[in-house]
Amino acid sequence: MTEAEARLRVMVVDDHPMWRDAVERDLAAAGLDMVAVAATGREAVARYPAARPDVVVLDLQIPEPDGVAVTAAVVAEDPSARVLILSASGEPGDVLAAVKAGATGYLVKSASREELLDAVRRTAAGDPVFTPGLAGLVLGEFQRISGAPAPAPDPGEPSLTDRETEVLRLVAKGLSYRQIAERLVLSHRTVQNHVQNTLRKLHMHNRVELTRYAIERGLDE
Amino acid sequence: MSTWSSPAAIAVEDQLFRALAVLRIVVLANAVVLAVYRADDVGRPAAMAACVVTMIGWTGFATWAYAEPHRRGRALLAADLAIAVAMLLASPYVMADGATASVPGFWIIGALIAWAIHYRWVGGLVAGLVLAAADLARQDLDWSDYGNAFLLVVGGPVIGFVCGSLQQLATERDAAERAAAVAAERARLARAVHDGVLQVLALVQRRGGELGGAAADLGRLAGEQERQLRALIRAQDDLGDGARTGAVDVVAELVRLESRRSVTVSTPGTPVEVPAATARELVAVVGACLDNVRTHVGEDAPAWVLLQAFPDRVELSVRDDGPGIPAGRLEEAAVEGRLGVAESIRGRVADLGGTAEVVSGPFGTEWEIVVPRPVGSTP
Repeated sequence: MTEAEARLRVMVVDDHPMWRDAVERDLAAAGLDMVAVAATGREAVARYPAARPDVVVLDLQIPEPDGVAVTAAVVAEDPSARVLILSASGEPGDVLAAVKAGATGYLVKSASREELLDAVRRTAAGDPVFTPGLAGLVLGEFQRISGAPAPAPDPGEPSLTDRETEVLRLVAKGLSYRQIAERLVLSHRTVQNHVQNTLRKLHMHNRVELTRYAIERGLDE
Repeated sequence: MSTWSSPAAIAVEDQLFRALAVLRIVVLANAVVLAVYRADDVGRPAAMAACVVTMIGWTGFATWAYAEPHRRGRALLAADLAIAVAMLLASPYVMADGATASVPGFWIIGALIAWAIHYRWVGGLVAGLVLAAADLARQDLDWSDYGNAFLLVVGGPVIGFVCGSLQQLATERDAAERAAAVAAERARLARAVHDGVLQVLALVQRRGGELGGAAADLGRLAGEQERQLRALIRAQDDLGDGARTGAVDVVAELVRLESRRSVTVSTPGTPVEVPAATARELVAVVGACLDNVRTHVGEDAPAWVLLQAFPDRVELSVRDDGPGIPAGRLEEAAVEGRLGVAESIRGRVADLGGTAEVVSGPFGTEWEIVVPRPVGSTP
């Protein structure tokens, strides 16, 4: 454990007390600094600005506002915020919505303590934490975007490069970044960059969609 | 008669009466203009003037009275019809001998349609018969009067039937919307409950694994249940649309395979509809691939399934981390005349008009299955 890791500031948002305690205990035992906890979306949004954690470990199913809304609020407050979704049910719609809103990682709650620690550290480092399931959802989302019959094709619309699609496909097939790097003869860092770009483009697309929606509804004044 | 008193039915009635108010003014203008134009046919101008004033006054009153649902009672409808009949019956007295026109002319259809809207086809029929009888009771008639009387009797029930159908449709649509809202709310509540159960199962699984011993067994069981429940919830979320279109969401079908331990299924977030037979075959093929993994790699060997949907095809990949198929084994099986698992998978996919390729090596074994979708399916 290095000096930098020891100082990682983490906030845990979960309405289930047993879970909140378990996650808190595991992370604290590994030397991470637990700066805040919250049981509801309202508490999370209220406590985030003062706590300024490096990583928010967030459950999706929490009392109003839900995890997706909290993600959006936290990222709006601080665009460099890192949100790791930790969900029990992993509803595909909710997970995709949270990632589109700005979360950079997703883990199911059945993941082990080591997997959780690893995910928190990677999220803090700005490294997207993708499960194969999330990669499948994101692939499907880009397929939906490119397949949607647009009234006028928008050249500014973010789309994936062939290489990015390839990397994402391999993530969805359950390969680790190391395995992907080996198979495509790339460096581990390049694979990470491709996955990061994928997320960046997804966020960009989400903003384009939201703006378009706002303009359509006359909310842009 | 709840169909007729539902908010939706009353809203439809409101709208029909608003339309009728416009129609009443048109037929009133027609009656007034004709009264002036046919002044020569009028025997008693003072009586004619009284009739015209009555029609103008009643049209105004009726427009106001029919605007509110609670004023549309028997008294109003009876008065409406009575005045129309009175106008018809007054015609022989008001008009000169030998004049074939009636005093109100088409003005009477206001009362007819009001009855048709409020009492539907029965009301249309009754009002049509009463008005036709009153019209034919006049002495000086020509053939066009018989035609008009016939139209009243036929048109009344037809308009009434259409009005009734509109109200029924609106009521049914309302009920369907309410049912959908209730179902959505129920699903939302169920999700919260399921999430709570999944939380506990995941926690037991996690802590059990850490404690070891008998607790580890409990944890493993909780993990199995968690997977089963998750797959069940996802499959349930997608119920409904398939039966209507004859298509099946292959995502929901594939996700069920996750209930097998150590299988991960990745799919798009939206339903992927394919014909039911195709979906069945695809799931069977993926199942065969997974069985193969279990036989050759290990009971608990991890395997990953990826489904991608394109407008014209679906692509499936089944991958494992095993030692791979030894070189020449598939050919050997073919030479021996045995139909290996691989051949059976290829055959089934070929029957769907698709292709199945297998890549194997020290990195594991990977099946790539591509099956065309009927054109017009949503991606």
